[in-house]
Amino acid sequence: MRPILSGLLIFISLYIFADFFVKNATIGLSKCALNTTLFGNSEEFIDPIMQSVFLEHLHTETFFLMMILLTLSAVFMRLWAERPFSLILLNITMLSALLSLISLAMSYYVSASFVNLYVSTFFLWHIAALCMSLLSLWRLFRA
Amino acid sequence: MHKAYRVSILYFLLFALLLLATASALFAQKIGFTQADVLSYYLGNEALFIAPKSVVGVLKIILPHIFAYALFVMVVLHFLIFTKMRNKRELDFLIYASYVSIAAELFSPFFIMAGLEFFAYVKIAAFFTMSTLQLYISYLLFDSIFKA
Repeated sequence: MRPILSGLLIFISLYIFADFFVKNATIGLSKCALNTTLFGNSEEFIDPIMQSVFLEHLHTETFFLMMILLTLSAVFMRLWAERPFSLILLNITMLSALLSLISLAMSYYVSASFVNLYVSTFFLWHIAALCMSLLSLWRLFRA
Repeated sequence: MHKAYRVSILYFLLFALLLLATASALFAQKIGFTQADVLSYYLGNEALFIAPKSVVGVLKIILPHIFAYALFVMVVLHFLIFTKMRNKRELDFLIYASYVSIAAELFSPFFIMAGLEFFAYVKIAAFFTMSTLQLYISYLLFDSIFKA
């Protein structure tokens, strides 16, 4: 079972790592870049993102996130279930990932101030998920 | 079932509800919920400057959904096996109804483009059936998690 799970965990870690760069290059990961993507910038002649494009982005992000985090959490809990911190880390990852999606939608539809929450939760879930993945790998190879 | 797994499933269901919300918003924004909206989207409408969709264009849209829908429905339904629903006839009904409704939702556009306008109703009905089943399955799972 070890090679199968470690392969999966390595690829999940790579996905999380690559996601930073892809998001940074597409919608942006700073408050300024995200505001420009979502609402445009008249000084630089940049149009705001179309609603249908934004919804498609949110929809695919939700699907990928739910599948990746369910898989990662299943492996992580299989290896670390007996430790109390595992449940805390799992809650942090899931809650921040869920909040990042909701805050992105809120930034677009309600108020631009939610962009700060999106950036914070985006970094938090990536770091927490990376920790889950690396801890699982460590447990696999140490056992 | 271990408490941690219940937590994972609980979050998965919250993501599933968000997925359903974004899918509904996309359907409303891109297609619309009336027969006329669905026909305009697939067959085009000169008055609204909507170009008709091609078979290859629609196939490109549904291609990732064929796998994604099946995977999503399989994952959600298999959680029901860990509840009291196991070995009940209602579970069989939910499985068949879920797969039939996603098939109708995915493939009805081809019948619309073939001239069978009635399938616009099938598309809308299949979307609502699929969403209602998803909400019902989520309710059963939430109920099972909180009662455990």
